[in-house]
Amino acid sequence: MNESYKIISSSMLYWFSQKKWFVFSVLLAIFLLNLSTPIGLSVPGYHSLIILLMVFTLVTFEPIPFPAIALLTLVLQVLLGVAPPDVVAASFMNDAVLFVMGSLMFAIAIVHQGLDIRLAKVIIRLFGKSKRLFLAGLMTISAILSSFLGEHTIIAIMLPIGLSVVKNIDTKQTDGKNAVLLTLFSVAYGTIIGSIGTPSGGARNVIMINYLQEFSSIHIDYWEWMKHAYPILIMQLVVAYFVLQFAFPTTLKNIQIQGYKKKVAKSNTKNNINHLFSFVIILFIVISWFLFNEQFGLGIIALCGALIFMICGMVSWEVINKNTNWGVILLFAATISLGFQINETGASSWMVEKFNAMLALMPESDLNLSWPFMAILTGLTANFFTSSATISLLGPMAIELQPTDISFALSAAIASGFSFLTVISSPTAMILYSTGLVSTKTFFKVGLLMFTSSIVILYLMSKFYWVTL
Amino acid sequence: MNILIAIGGKEYSKPTLDLGMKIANSFEATTTIAYVGKKISQFSEKDVSVVHQNLDDRELYRPGVRTLEWAYDFLESKNYIKKKDSGVNFNDNLIIDEENSRMRLLLKGSHSNKIDLILRTGEIIDQLRSEVESNSHDITIIGGGGNKGMHHKLVQFIDSSVMVVKNYSVNKKYKILLPVNNSLGSNKAIEIAQQFAKSKKMAVEIITVLENKSSDEELKSILKKTEKKFTNAGIKNTASILEGDPVQSVVKYAKDDCLVMLGVSPKNPILKYFFGSKPISIAQQCNCPVLIAK
Repeated sequence: MNESYKIISSSMLYWFSQKKWFVFSVLLAIFLLNLSTPIGLSVPGYHSLIILLMVFTLVTFEPIPFPAIALLTLVLQVLLGVAPPDVVAASFMNDAVLFVMGSLMFAIAIVHQGLDIRLAKVIIRLFGKSKRLFLAGLMTISAILSSFLGEHTIIAIMLPIGLSVVKNIDTKQTDGKNAVLLTLFSVAYGTIIGSIGTPSGGARNVIMINYLQEFSSIHIDYWEWMKHAYPILIMQLVVAYFVLQFAFPTTLKNIQIQGYKKKVAKSNTKNNINHLFSFVIILFIVISWFLFNEQFGLGIIALCGALIFMICGMVSWEVINKNTNWGVILLFAATISLGFQINETGASSWMVEKFNAMLALMPESDLNLSWPFMAILTGLTANFFTSSATISLLGPMAIELQPTDISFALSAAIASGFSFLTVISSPTAMILYSTGLVSTKTFFKVGLLMFTSSIVILYLMSKFYWVTL
Repeated sequence: MNILIAIGGKEYSKPTLDLGMKIANSFEATTTIAYVGKKISQFSEKDVSVVHQNLDDRELYRPGVRTLEWAYDFLESKNYIKKKDSGVNFNDNLIIDEENSRMRLLLKGSHSNKIDLILRTGEIIDQLRSEVESNSHDITIIGGGGNKGMHHKLVQFIDSSVMVVKNYSVNKKYKILLPVNNSLGSNKAIEIAQQFAKSKKMAVEIITVLENKSSDEELKSILKKTEKKFTNAGIKNTASILEGDPVQSVVKYAKDDCLVMLGVSPKNPILKYFFGSKPISIAQQCNCPVLIAK
């Protein structure tokens, strides 16, 4: 057989094996475009849903780079007549996108300061009396910090602390393995749970606030969000503590808190002026989020944080540029833009109508079924699609379900933060997996318990606590 | 010659490393030992990278570094690398970010110039293909722990000979089993087997499988030629003719103490992708190391 033919066909096969989901999504889109538009749905609305389906497939299976998915989303919106170019361009940039950009850059600036030793000293001083207390402290501090600064920032700072205390543990024995898993999961669950606490805890929260303001003119400020979400966070922390003790029973005898204490005590952090400046900048930004979020927007304030670090020379542009995931920023901007068009074209109303019609087929019950459906749907989707992307695409539908009741929108945003099931669901889960110490199976098994408990907590809080606010 | 040895966890990589280095030494080849870490979702790749940098700075090290350190020590303990090979000395492990998902590791203390230690992250086939493409490796050696589909893809998409090290014991005495036929890949397998057998003083069993086809006479003649070639080179050998289905015959004939070396199928790549090939089936079914030469 001709060698060049073999080489070409082999390369094409390889391309196909890598890009099969892209080919599939294109073929699916072409097929759907050739069907007649469903009754009650406008042509642009139908096309926006076809793009939504394509984006779901492409983001889930990643056959092409994220920036390419982002550009494809924008191009298709115009080519398929979903919206004119100016409208697409205008919806591409808003405060939520600025927040994603600002918080990613701000996170890199903070992580670059090497605050983990300083934090370890605080945790040891407060919780160093016993090993179990230390792990509970690690989880609590991770949650509190992550609720303000985002999970991607805090996992990067806290994971080295967790790994330091489990260094050299023999993981072949069950007790040792469980001690490692208990430590790592304490940090990870702390940061995941924390991210629901305030709007700045995760981009999805800001995206939902933005949508609420745009689509139903309801404004939720920083404090209002905290009042709703923080009690859930506290209850989840308590549940997580017991779930982890149950899932990973261990004597903790291998954990080297004393050794780590000595190592931390030796390190000289007292005279590190950058730590002091970092603390001041972080405090300034968090206070600004509380006080000025309505005036300036959360995104602009997050950008200010990164800006101050750069102006003070505490982080270089090269470091920020190298470590910022520009692809994710572009993708969020594109999905938010698509989310706006799904709402504008009436596609979200149509979806909600169909959703309600489906619920009407269920046997009559006193329980409002749309809430659990919606919360579980967003929670599960976020586990396979990541939370912010889920909210940017499903957020308009969650609002449309009950436009005057913020509990639906809030529940969707909070449930999408329950990324306990898969390792692709959040940066924290992926970072934990990337250590090579946690398998996808273990993550899912423990996560299932945590996910179920979290949905129950969310339901109870929305039913009995939110109504009192 | 360039040889790539892909390793995973410490527990299962000893046989792969040992056999890989034996082959590399017999060809006096430059060797790359690659650890391919887990694939990271595009959403989190930068976050993971920042955390890994943080871990490296605190000498906790990203996954793979400790495995490569262990691999280096193992090779030193087995005298595959000697202390005198050491080049530059470093006070700490040095991780050099080279290109897409590829990092070179320079170990603290001594580091041999003869071995490249590489860390990669991503989908294993993609990473090994890219490593072979950019560094022109001739043989890729990998453990037999992965699934059958992975070995199929390795043979299909990697542009080098591929050896799957299955059920190999470091201290056992092995012989080479060389099934020959009229393909170009078979010629390459004969070359590799000859060089390896000569260097390691191993016995070779040359076989061919007749299927009652017009090519039977040609196969008999190839078997004779190969036998003569090995005898002339002073390599202890035997030659046998088998009959029946080539895959079943070779799999049945190959014992646990065999290193099977055979050529890649000349079949159309598209047919191979969907229906497999005889060498791929042999590699999947044999309970011993198999090298498919390209």
